[in-house]
Amino acid sequence: MAGLPFDKEYHIAIMADNKKLENELRVLIAEIVEIEPGKITPTANFVEDLGMDSMMALEILASIEKKYKLRIPEENLPKISDLTKTIEIVNKFLNK
Amino acid sequence: MLLKDKVAIVTGGTRGIGRAIVFELVQNGAKVLFTYLKSDESAGIILDEIKELKGEAEAIKADVRLYDEAKKVTEETLNKFGKIDILINNAGIIKDKALMMMEPSEWLDVINTNLTGYFNMSKACIVTMMKQKSGCIINMSSIAGIVGMPRQVNYSSAKAGELGLTKSLAKEVASYGIRVNAIAPGFIETDMTKDLKQKDDLVKIIPFGRFGKPEEVAKVVTFLASEKSGYITGQVLKVDGGLAI
Repeated sequence: MAGLPFDKEYHIAIMADNKKLENELRVLIAEIVEIEPGKITPTANFVEDLGMDSMMALEILASIEKKYKLRIPEENLPKISDLTKTIEIVNKFLNK
Repeated sequence: MLLKDKVAIVTGGTRGIGRAIVFELVQNGAKVLFTYLKSDESAGIILDEIKELKGEAEAIKADVRLYDEAKKVTEETLNKFGKIDILINNAGIIKDKALMMMEPSEWLDVINTNLTGYFNMSKACIVTMMKQKSGCIINMSSIAGIVGMPRQVNYSSAKAGELGLTKSLAKEVASYGIRVNAIAPGFIETDMTKDLKQKDDLVKIIPFGRFGKPEEVAKVVTFLASEKSGYITGQVLKVDGGLAI
């Protein structure tokens, strides 16, 4: 990217972490929603596409908090709507 | 000690029924954080009295009409006591007037304090309770929300709304071990009723022939907050001396 220092190793590390995080979250969510992990594509909406009860967002949030020893404020609950957005939130609070 | 080591929030805890609830809960072993809107002095006196009883309580000035303030109340409770077992939505006001004379602002003030305040506090507490997989919410409604009262379309509407909130939320969170109930007091001896002009006429239509005492309402709160009512949710318990039978 123009104007920004490019640290290849750093980027690879982040991407590797993100892939690991994505896989871990996919398994965690699949267990809660009780579906095959493969069905949880990055943008599949948990409620509309995967048939998740909207209340399950709290189960996902609580499980994430426990697994990564995080505290994610409940205002973020509506954002737990697909895998990509969930990864964004977890990354945000992992970096805090 | 029906509520030993339980943590309770009581909104509007410095006067009338709210004050009686605070003392009743403390005397049953609960740790109580109560809110108040105006009088620091009243809150301080209550805290001193509770200290003399060797009870544990905190007070916080908060306007529950605002969600951010409700959130502040729950955060303060969690910081101080680490959990929230019981929420008593009680803070309320009246602005009685015939509909033709009632200003839109008087409608909104009453709806915002009595109904939106209950929504705000319930929302601010519910995720904590859901994570705990336990909790108890008691909404202090009124028989005005069941039978209707002249010159109280604002208050009656808010109180009826609280019953809808109670029943819907009870169904929504039952699977998380959270119970939501309402109490509908009749005429109780408080500041809110002390200036009623038609008091003698009202007493005549109460089968018990008298107004209730705040403590008589508070004891029902303890019952609904305790395990003795562990299989009761979504209910409205009238405490009205038979007025609305």
